[in-house]
Amino acid sequence: MTSNNRRCVVSGLGVICAVGNNVEETWNNALNSLSGIHKTTSLDTKNCYADLAAEVNCDTLDDIECPDEKDRASKLCIKAMKEALNDAGLGDFADSSRVSVIIGSCVGGVLSIEKYHRGGKDVNEIPKMPIAAIASQVAESCHAGGIVTNVGNACAAGTISIALACDLIRAGKADVVIAGGSDSFASVPYSGFLSLHALDENGCSPFNHCNGITLGEGAGIVIVESLEHAEKRNAKRYCEVLGAGVTSDAHHITAPREDGICLLEAMERAVRNSGIKKSDIGYLNAHGTGTGKNDNAEINAFLKFFGDENPTLSVSSTKVMTGHCLGAAGAIEAVFSIKALTTNTVLPTLHYSAEDSEALKEKVGQMDYVQNTPRAKELECVMSNNVAFGGTNASIVFSKKPGDVQSQVAKDKKIAVTGIGIVSPIGNSKETYLESVKSGKLPESASICSTVTNDDYKELGIKMAFYRKLDNLGQLQTVSGMRALKDANFTVTEDNAKQIGIIVGTSEGGLGATYDFEELIAEEGNAGGSAFKFPHTVYNAAGGYLSILSGIKGYGVTITTGPLSGLDSIGYSMNVIHDGQEDAMMATGTDENIPIITELCQKLNVAADKVVEPYSESSGFVVGDGSVSIIMETEDYAKARGAKVYCYALGYGNGRKNVKYGHISGSDEALDIAIKDALNNAGVSMDEIDAVCGFANGFKKLDDIEKAAYARVFGDKLANLPLFQVKERVGEGRAASAALAAAEAALMLGGELAEENAYFITNAGVSKKKVATGGFKKILVTSFATGGSYSAVVLGK
Amino acid sequence: MANEEIKSKLKAFFMSDLGVDGDVLNYDTPLFGEEIGLDSVDSLEIISFVDDNFGVSMTGVAKENFQSIDTIAAFIEKNKA
Repeated sequence: MTSNNRRCVVSGLGVICAVGNNVEETWNNALNSLSGIHKTTSLDTKNCYADLAAEVNCDTLDDIECPDEKDRASKLCIKAMKEALNDAGLGDFADSSRVSVIIGSCVGGVLSIEKYHRGGKDVNEIPKMPIAAIASQVAESCHAGGIVTNVGNACAAGTISIALACDLIRAGKADVVIAGGSDSFASVPYSGFLSLHALDENGCSPFNHCNGITLGEGAGIVIVESLEHAEKRNAKRYCEVLGAGVTSDAHHITAPREDGICLLEAMERAVRNSGIKKSDIGYLNAHGTGTGKNDNAEINAFLKFFGDENPTLSVSSTKVMTGHCLGAAGAIEAVFSIKALTTNTVLPTLHYSAEDSEALKEKVGQMDYVQNTPRAKELECVMSNNVAFGGTNASIVFSKKPGDVQSQVAKDKKIAVTGIGIVSPIGNSKETYLESVKSGKLPESASICSTVTNDDYKELGIKMAFYRKLDNLGQLQTVSGMRALKDANFTVTEDNAKQIGIIVGTSEGGLGATYDFEELIAEEGNAGGSAFKFPHTVYNAAGGYLSILSGIKGYGVTITTGPLSGLDSIGYSMNVIHDGQEDAMMATGTDENIPIITELCQKLNVAADKVVEPYSESSGFVVGDGSVSIIMETEDYAKARGAKVYCYALGYGNGRKNVKYGHISGSDEALDIAIKDALNNAGVSMDEIDAVCGFANGFKKLDDIEKAAYARVFGDKLANLPLFQVKERVGEGRAASAALAAAEAALMLGGELAEENAYFITNAGVSKKKVATGGFKKILVTSFATGGSYSAVVLGK
Repeated sequence: MANEEIKSKLKAFFMSDLGVDGDVLNYDTPLFGEEIGLDSVDSLEIISFVDDNFGVSMTGVAKENFQSIDTIAAFIEKNKA
């Protein structure tokens, strides 16, 4: 049985969708087989072949603090969050570091992107655009002071958020996690799915007519709590969250694999990690979008997976009621799954005629696809599945019993850093980057970017048939990722493809591509979207392309929290390895600087007008970009394949003091917390740190926070502590710079960067001198995000 | 519109909108073969482009018509008003 300290329970639920504005209303309407799908009046449907959607109808979304500062996606999420906290008997957390927020989203603040573009480029819309705003604003609303992050895996994001919540609790990083997903209905996804001919003009009909999806919107929140914490406060307990499985198809950017083998693997992992039998699962809330490709792949995968062991499993898709709520889908469906479990009631898929039922029976045999009306059924465990663009598969199990969850089974394993891939404005490989460092190369202007060329593809053997599909972000990510694999001498084969996963960290992800798409449809109308461009709008497209190109089929998650995402990708990768999920992980940080990104920075008054260097007390920073990928694997795995080891990942930590999203001032002490947390996690004392790779970029407000925190944490030691700042060379490349700081630390520890310019902070001010790095044994790496979050990682020899 | 002009317009579209390298794209190069690697998403874009620019619908048209710039141009020639 799952040991008590590994048990995660659900203590609160919140939901808002087209079927209802709270859990009770939504559940009751669902029991009455009501669908929220109707003709949309909120968007331009001129010349569009489909005009149905499942929209939220709620006039109290603005009853929150500062509604003008929040996108609809945040408002939906905060509404569901408040219901869930109230349900759980929880309130304000006073910045407690034990309370985390993890929210999944696909299109995030896309309505604010549209509003900015079509409404005179109002600067106030900018902070609402990225997905990262959602979790930050949720945390700000209830003062959650733990890890605050967003999952950007499109339509599987909601499910992954809940899985990640349990991972954090089981790793001892949190007691309570507000987990879920949120997305709003908007022109970009509507036009995008139209361009793919993936909308059903008659409304989606999962596992039945299968002519396409119908888009919905909404948010779902599940309060996941450690058993210990829930017991202590005598909390309501809906159920247990057992294991989950996340995999990558390595197949196609929009279409699922027909053979469903990676969906099978995700379900296999979910069952295995739960410590249950396949036959314990009484109901499966399927992804069931209503497209032929998805539904047929799922039908076959369910038959194959459950087959003789569980031939009469009940299955349904609730998207026929809620529409496809994208990043919120998994969260809303988790709420349905948990309600199904606790009330022993399976919701149906709607709109089956007698003839339809017969036709389905031909395909699914005795498997129980519940149709039209709810079914009473005694349930022990339920499974909820979601899949996504980028080839992501996610499966999770909710249960009345504790199961036999195994986690942190590889906690004692040392994690080696064995490969580094760098794409930066000063070089597209580790070698050229190192040359640029040695020659003292600095930014040539206040806005710089990386440029991938055909030479990079040629060197890596990437064919035109593949790279022609990539957008800029995808180019940066695939080149850095493939270079990291090459550097690690890691060949992905059929045998090891599932033993390695990818976590992409990104600050703005597909925001630039979304803006590009918005420009197109503002001009051409919603009927004029591009099927070629639309996939790039999802934040996990870059990671998806890397999975397709490399063949990596294991864990695949894109996190988006601001610059620190490039460092959290390392921390979360450590956790995936410690959980025994994978033997190896690729942790990346990737962000792009295309013209719109510089424009947004300039509008926000954070872009410098000339080249500035860290600690220059400037009023802005150089806008940069890049992609840095780092291969990490257990020491045993590295040794077994004879890999060279740069250094070891010893620990990671996080800190948060809530300030408004888009701001940093006032959050200073949270960096101290992150550093201490990382040192503690690594079992390393402050005295053992030989150097710091930081995040200063020249912008005074930010650099002052960094300096002051180091002074508090390191005290007298600071005057002689070398600080390295990659942004002097590559500008503020957000997640790419955070990962680059870690890569530089690894290069120093690995002996490939023998000397380097270091900053020293003393009472007299900041000085700079070249130092030899050969004696370094342990290096601290730090990063930040607006809204008041900080992360730190300790790397050591 | 002359056949050559249609072909040249198509080639320009493949290069600008579908990321195809013009150096390897001849009028008879197989579009869905290994080198160019078009897929179902790209065919949606081709259909949309042909409809918008030549007023010819290729929705539901047999696969062989999409084989190369030559075959698409031939289809357009044959079916334009």
